[in-house]
Amino acid sequence: MIEFVFLLPLATGLTALALPASLGRFLLLISAILHLQLSVMSWMGKLTPVYANFFNASPEGMLILIVTSFIFVCISVYSFSYMNETEMENKPVFICCMLLFLGTMSMVALSDHPIVLWIAIEATTLVSAPLIFIHRSKEALEATWKYVLICSVGIALALLGCFFITLAMDLGNLETPLTFSSLNTVASQLDPLWLKVGFVFVVIGFGTKMGLAPMHTWLPDAHSEAPSPASALLSGALLNCAFLGIYKTHIVMNAAGLGDFSGNVLIGFGLVSMVVGAIFIISQPDYKRMLAYSSIKNMGVIAFGVGVGGFALYGAFLHIIHHSLVKSSLFLSAGNILLGFGTKKVQRVGAVIRHLPKTYVSFFAGFIGISGLPPFGLFISKIIIIIGAFQEHRYISVAVFIATTTLVAAGTGRIFMSMSYGDTKENLQIPEKTMRLLPAFALLLVSFILCIWLPDVVFNTIYESIQKIGGTLHG
Amino acid sequence: MTNSTVAILVIILLSVLLSLGSTRLIALVKIMALQGIMVSLTPLFLKDHGTLSSGAIIFFQIMIMIKGLLIPGLLYMAVKRVAIKREIEPFIGYHASILSGLAILIFAVFITNQLSISLPPGHDIVLITAITTMASGFFLMMARSKAITQVIGYLMLENGIYLVGTALTKHSHTLYVVEFGVLLDLLVGVMIMGIILHNINSAFDDVDTTLLGRLKD
Repeated sequence: MIEFVFLLPLATGLTALALPASLGRFLLLISAILHLQLSVMSWMGKLTPVYANFFNASPEGMLILIVTSFIFVCISVYSFSYMNETEMENKPVFICCMLLFLGTMSMVALSDHPIVLWIAIEATTLVSAPLIFIHRSKEALEATWKYVLICSVGIALALLGCFFITLAMDLGNLETPLTFSSLNTVASQLDPLWLKVGFVFVVIGFGTKMGLAPMHTWLPDAHSEAPSPASALLSGALLNCAFLGIYKTHIVMNAAGLGDFSGNVLIGFGLVSMVVGAIFIISQPDYKRMLAYSSIKNMGVIAFGVGVGGFALYGAFLHIIHHSLVKSSLFLSAGNILLGFGTKKVQRVGAVIRHLPKTYVSFFAGFIGISGLPPFGLFISKIIIIIGAFQEHRYISVAVFIATTTLVAAGTGRIFMSMSYGDTKENLQIPEKTMRLLPAFALLLVSFILCIWLPDVVFNTIYESIQKIGGTLHG
Repeated sequence: MTNSTVAILVIILLSVLLSLGSTRLIALVKIMALQGIMVSLTPLFLKDHGTLSSGAIIFFQIMIMIKGLLIPGLLYMAVKRVAIKREIEPFIGYHASILSGLAILIFAVFITNQLSISLPPGHDIVLITAITTMASGFFLMMARSKAITQVIGYLMLENGIYLVGTALTKHSHTLYVVEFGVLLDLLVGVMIMGIILHNINSAFDDVDTTLLGRLKD
């Protein structure tokens, strides 16, 4: 029963509400490990869906599920120590919402019905809003308000898009069940006009949640105000889930022969996101906001790669995996710095190398990774996307891509340098701890290993995900 | 397409225009209650849904209860608690708002005429109403600064989407999933936003969203 994958964290999350925080921390850790185990089992095909009309194990969903689950294990280890060292009004609520968040995201990864997928994404907003508001400051309040309002409106538009796709089915006189897998088989009979309209709404709606510009305005606020483990989860897992909704609709569009249209829409949004992300990163005074804008830029890269298709599609999927690993590691390191210095301002943080030497290693390695330099995976994925875009003769887009990547590397580089080696007047408040360091290192290590050796099973899953819409594996 | 359907749709359109022009928040909440009932009645009167199972009827009754009673009730309580009677300084004035509402209506007719080629006959007026309701909901969110009016705008947007979902698509495909989805969305609107509303009110002594301007680049 594949539904256990999301039922387990939902159940343990609700249980955590009733437990004191000291026990809840163990529950968080145990559920994370059990969830990883269940995810691997469903990935290997050991679990079958009971409600096959609503849930199914698609390769792209499995890929995102496994990434989410692995990141969550690392984040739960981090939270285990983090919760002891920060002031939180209500710790059981934090644990509960983290687990419910994991549950709803797993539901997104497994759902096959467009509206169930939509419900799951809407539910992620519902359960992650308390996480952003956990510190109860005025800034957190503002970030939560923006997050809930903008994402709800965006997602409401995605629901409208789903209805239009259903309408396209009605007009084609189809009596098949409304699932992505059956839509793919009958896509050519769908009404093309309403399908196009539906796709645009789905992209705008889920794009809001994914952080594509110009609907990204909630993202920097939410990521900077949320506690660091929650930011890592938002950036490393939630954005991928929203992307999954867009990707599944993109597959339907391709099956209906409208792949050029949907690809161009994605390329457009991707390029705008890259430019917006790059512009705001330069001289960004807040380092958590800087990481958030970097996420926007990388989501743009993913949308661009998927839009271009072919070889770049393979790059886009590698990019999803490695971006999640590296970015969540960076947010965890940033959390250590925030605990240590008590400020998010770049100017007031300095000499990380002297005060927090181990965090410095993970933070700086994360910087190398996110800038797309070897030996981390984003290097390979970016190169593949560039080669793929050249093969498709998208020369101007490639120029924009390379220019923004360079700008981002330069902008982040300056900030990382000043934080690592600059001066500071602040005193160290909370020293670094092994439990808060290991997860960041583990995430980076996995990205490094996947860069030099991609296991066959991962490779095959990526291949199955991309071959539906003509992704290829060689230049 | 019977006359009663048209009558209901016209009432929805009027309630949209009224809500754009209403200055008092309590009146706005009452209009939302009326609109909620009318929107949840619409699918019952459409031809395609002629044979309704008993389960469907119960479901529609629940929708009416929630949209017509529960949500307006919660909004009413919220308005009472934050103790504000009216929107003092809207970004766009009331007369201008009504005019914009009419412009949206004309725009909706225009769009529907462009698209109606592939719609089932008789459904174009439903689409016009839905587009007008959605666009006016959006407009309300942008033109008013009080957080509570923005929530109402969001609920109006949701009403429009519900119209599209239940009136335009066949019921066999969706199996109450649509209704469930919309209900969840309303839950977000009322519960979460209500909680935040309360917190905004206690943190800033007001529910004006222009006070929320601390986070920027």
